[in-house]
Amino acid sequence: MDAASVAGGRGRPGAAGEAARARSQASLGASFAVRAAFIWPALLAILFVSIYPLLASLYISLSRLKLVRGGFEFRFVGLDNFRELLVGGEQGNFLGVLRPLGPVGWAVMAAGVALLGWGLVRAWRGGASVAGMVFRALGALLAAGTLWLAARTLLAAGGRPGTAMVTLVYVLVGITAQFLLGLGLAYLLTQGLPGQRFFRVVFLLPMMITPVGVAYMFRMLTDTGKGPLQPLWAAVGLSDFSWVNNPWGARVAVMVGDIWQWTPFMFIILLAALEAQDTDTVEAGMVDGANRWQIFRHISLPAILPVCATVVLIRLIEAFKIIDLPNILTNGGPGTATESLSLHAYIRWRTLDLGQSAAVAYSLLFIVTVAALAYVNLVRRRIAEE
Amino acid sequence: MSPRRRRSVRDLPPAGKLAAYLILVGWAVVVLFPLYWLVITSFKLPVQVNSGPVYLPFVDFQPSLDAWRYIFVDLRSDTLRPYVNTVVVALSSSVLALVLGSAGAYALARFPYKPRLGMIALVAGCLALVAVAVALGMPPAVAVAVAAGCFAILAATIGRRFRRTLSNGDIAFWMISQRILPPVAVVIPIYVLFQHLRLLDTRTALIITYAATNLPIVVWLMRDYFAKLPWELEEAAVVDGASAFRVFRSITLPLSAPGLVATFLIVLVFAWNEYLLALFLSSADAQTMPLTVAAQNATRGPQWWYMSVLIQIMILPVVALAVALERVVSRGLLVGAVKG
Amino acid sequence: MTKRQCSRWAACIAVVSVLLAACSSGGGGDNQSQSTQGTGADQFKGVEVTVLTFTGPQIAEPLQRRAPDFSQRTGATIKVVTVPFADLYDKILTDLATGTNSYDAFVFDPQWMGDFVPPGYLEDITDRVKADQALKWDDIAPFFRDFSASYKGRTYTIPLDGDFQMVYYRSDLLQRDGLKPPATWDDYLAIAQRYNGKDLNDDGKADYGSCIAKKRAAQSYWMSWSVAGSYLQAEGTSQGAFFDVNSMKPLVNNQAFATALDVYKQTTQYAPKDELNLDVGDTRGLFTSGRCALSADWGDIGTLAIDPKTSTVKDKVGAVIMPGSKKVLDRASGTLVDCDATRCPHAIDGVNHAPFSAFGGWSGAINAAVDQKVKDAAYAFLSFMSAPEQSNLDVTLGKTGFNPYRTSQFEDTDLWVKAGMSKEGADNYLGAIRDSLQSPNMILDLRVPKSAQYQGVVLDTAVAQFLAGELTRDQAIQQIEQGWEKITDEEGRDDQKAAYADSLNIQR
Repeated sequence: MDAASVAGGRGRPGAAGEAARARSQASLGASFAVRAAFIWPALLAILFVSIYPLLASLYISLSRLKLVRGGFEFRFVGLDNFRELLVGGEQGNFLGVLRPLGPVGWAVMAAGVALLGWGLVRAWRGGASVAGMVFRALGALLAAGTLWLAARTLLAAGGRPGTAMVTLVYVLVGITAQFLLGLGLAYLLTQGLPGQRFFRVVFLLPMMITPVGVAYMFRMLTDTGKGPLQPLWAAVGLSDFSWVNNPWGARVAVMVGDIWQWTPFMFIILLAALEAQDTDTVEAGMVDGANRWQIFRHISLPAILPVCATVVLIRLIEAFKIIDLPNILTNGGPGTATESLSLHAYIRWRTLDLGQSAAVAYSLLFIVTVAALAYVNLVRRRIAEE
Repeated sequence: MSPRRRRSVRDLPPAGKLAAYLILVGWAVVVLFPLYWLVITSFKLPVQVNSGPVYLPFVDFQPSLDAWRYIFVDLRSDTLRPYVNTVVVALSSSVLALVLGSAGAYALARFPYKPRLGMIALVAGCLALVAVAVALGMPPAVAVAVAAGCFAILAATIGRRFRRTLSNGDIAFWMISQRILPPVAVVIPIYVLFQHLRLLDTRTALIITYAATNLPIVVWLMRDYFAKLPWELEEAAVVDGASAFRVFRSITLPLSAPGLVATFLIVLVFAWNEYLLALFLSSADAQTMPLTVAAQNATRGPQWWYMSVLIQIMILPVVALAVALERVVSRGLLVGAVKG
Repeated sequence: MTKRQCSRWAACIAVVSVLLAACSSGGGGDNQSQSTQGTGADQFKGVEVTVLTFTGPQIAEPLQRRAPDFSQRTGATIKVVTVPFADLYDKILTDLATGTNSYDAFVFDPQWMGDFVPPGYLEDITDRVKADQALKWDDIAPFFRDFSASYKGRTYTIPLDGDFQMVYYRSDLLQRDGLKPPATWDDYLAIAQRYNGKDLNDDGKADYGSCIAKKRAAQSYWMSWSVAGSYLQAEGTSQGAFFDVNSMKPLVNNQAFATALDVYKQTTQYAPKDELNLDVGDTRGLFTSGRCALSADWGDIGTLAIDPKTSTVKDKVGAVIMPGSKKVLDRASGTLVDCDATRCPHAIDGVNHAPFSAFGGWSGAINAAVDQKVKDAAYAFLSFMSAPEQSNLDVTLGKTGFNPYRTSQFEDTDLWVKAGMSKEGADNYLGAIRDSLQSPNMILDLRVPKSAQYQGVVLDTAVAQFLAGELTRDQAIQQIEQGWEKITDEEGRDDQKAAYADSLNIQR
């Protein structure tokens, strides 16, 4: 089963065809006016709403707010807010409580650094440019730093993760679970099972509820006094366990709510992509005697891989902004265990600490941009090249 | 043979079917149980909710229409107005985002753009100049004129020197990166922006904002879709002399209906359910439903019974739309097209 | 393009324009026309007053219910706008600070005056109030009149509601076992311990001794100060319970606050196991369905308990002034010392009580930046709402969210009996309210600029972390002290000191 030959009949011509295609594509949109007319409305709309807020909140993150007679004033303080976050009084909230590494921590660090080093060496041998190597080195440095932070807060005894780390955990666990579930469910529902229309509609439901509503719903469900899951806990022997008093219990509750709510997002996009597959190649594969798994692995998956990459990127960016679930389930508690970066910014914002709030938001911007860039470079490029 | 039948030439073996159904029913239970709880909570009285979980109406507790009556009778117009606002705002902004976004996605998928990095920096700099000038009090028209003049001069003189170009992928990445900043950071600047435009508490402000913030999602989702469409069909039309608009409208869009519908549903849901920007851009007339849901948490704590009613009436139209459009998602139109 | 295409495009554009035009309606029309000065039913004819408060039914319902009546009397139109409770503060502040001024009056929490009055956003109504006979200003309890509604000696709000915290207990249980309502926090803990784990509402499930809302970012920071208050303040409201008035040092790094934190944490032992995630809605629900022996709360439990839709403990509820302490803080040394006549001049039976007027009691204020005529109409409406004819009825109805704040309201028990309380229940409930309202040692909620940061961020986070075990008691105290000092220094120590003194009406 050769994916390339199968793909050959699907509108992805070889090199000669590429050139021909490029020529006729060029004739499609050669005129500058046409090309501008297609893209500029979208660009203008985005610019209109985003330019001013971006600049304004950047300035706010470098200042402190004070209410004065007749209005308010911003006092420029430079990087003070950021300093506060990284090494000042807010460090415990933002980065967490760092403790010395134990043997497990050191082992993980060593393995991680080795992996990164190997990746760098491979890229260099593979002929990357100097500029490319510089970027890769920076990326590796940031990744190592994140690993070190994770080790010192999560793996070290007495360490406590701050909002940055907690958000990363939410994102990684959430996206993995949502993607696997979404893909699995979408795949099952393209197998022609009877009753699949019903399931397709039902599986879409969670995403359609306003996030604030979902959070309140989960608060009701997880309440050990009035929630309906009491008999379940009792049956499993957990009737005395108060998840809300346990940092990881509370975090798990947030993640469960997040997965419940956002799996439909992956599901619907992947379903559309699977449905839009060219049935001819699938049929050809079946006729050739491939089993279900081989068809999925060699035909369906490569076909939908770009869509997978896109949907994970979109969800990645959205997931970093998680706020309603931790806010409404536990208001960031117990203590600060479930507080995400967005919630951290929100708590500061609603008490008029606009400078600090914007600083947290820009830290989030930095983290997500780095993560998204890394993702795009590592994953999407590789997929596009296939 | 109908398209759907073709998809499963060979049915799953019984064991496989059983396993598949177990998974599907399992997840369906996980999805439906919280919703069931929501529905019966809307039929409970406060004391029934607070004293402990009761599961079956008429068996464990006497259902009451108290909450429904309060929302529909007592609050009448306070429920109707946000509802209408939500429908209008979400539909309009989603249609707008879809139109602008799919045009942009098509462009990024088909036309090679090579914007010069230097020119972009120049435009950004001039826009920043306008923003700062307006913030400092200069009348907007003057600021724009001055910035345009600066741009024209600089572009003519040093514009030639810019060599480094960006690609379509970079443009797309810039678009999606607009979604990274959490709403809490941008809500007050956006409030101030619309205050200057005197559009506060109007549906227009919300429509513009939602369309602009959801555009990147449309662009990203449709870009992949368009890129996958076989070029042969469009090529044939181009050879026949059709314009790009014609090709886009008559060939590409119909073929990508499943993707368009899925994307439309997603941005509709995003606009339907958005909270923070709606809270600040509205005051009396343009309030939307998510605000009424959140408002049920007042000084007495969350009023679960009212909230359940509101959530249910909020999701009904979206679910109905999803059911209606589900057919389109699963049509798989490519089947006939390539052959022809 | 062909002609057909052209016309199609034109049709599309036309449709879109119509849609957009339809969509851009609803701009909150500005119809505050001036009218000639009339009297009575024409007095404010043509004037529209937009009042902002949070989504009810509490607080908003009586405003909406009485608005038509007021319109008939004076010709003004009252438009009540509501937003979610958690965002009311931000909505008001954004509207005022950016000069949008889309609201003419607010019904809000007077604690926020500390942020709204210094920049000049609120109308000074001292003279209007003095000249207003119908309002019966002197009938309003002294605390609300002199402290809650005033800032630096001038009046800015009209009280509509009286907020302070009390302790509620199951009177049937205490009576059966011959116990007296708790007078000190040790009593409270003893009673809680006694009833914890027993079945208190005959449903076969074990219930709890004490239910206090300890959820982060909800009401926990008030509850904690209700416990701490009687250890910290003994010499009357003007002594202040948050900072030392002379040095602006926080009153947290001392033995009194440490003891209070320990007591606060100890109540968790006799409480539902997820008490750390319960907010006041949850604890009220638990108490009124009979699952708690004790609770600390504002006045709402009294009216909620008699509503059959929400309660199974009708006529089984008693209220008492917030428990106090026999030892108070000596501010010079930072230690706890025994109460005596000089240290605790307001002690009752040797126990110093300091009921905490948490939040302050919903009050109406007027936007200083709107037209004179609108201000007049807004004042008339707020005065109408607060006048005894309207207010005395509203405070007996649970759904209004208004709790008693006028002396006449707790002297006449008939209205309460009519609302459903038993005579003994009404006497007990009103008695507890009277004891609290008449206490000269009531604690005024913190009302300096950035009070939300002091309490809602620094205090709340540290207490939540302490309760969750993330911080030890002393670490929490240090974190609070450092956080508060940082805010004070940033705002200007002298400015904050002056604002604190102003809020306590000290120079009067």
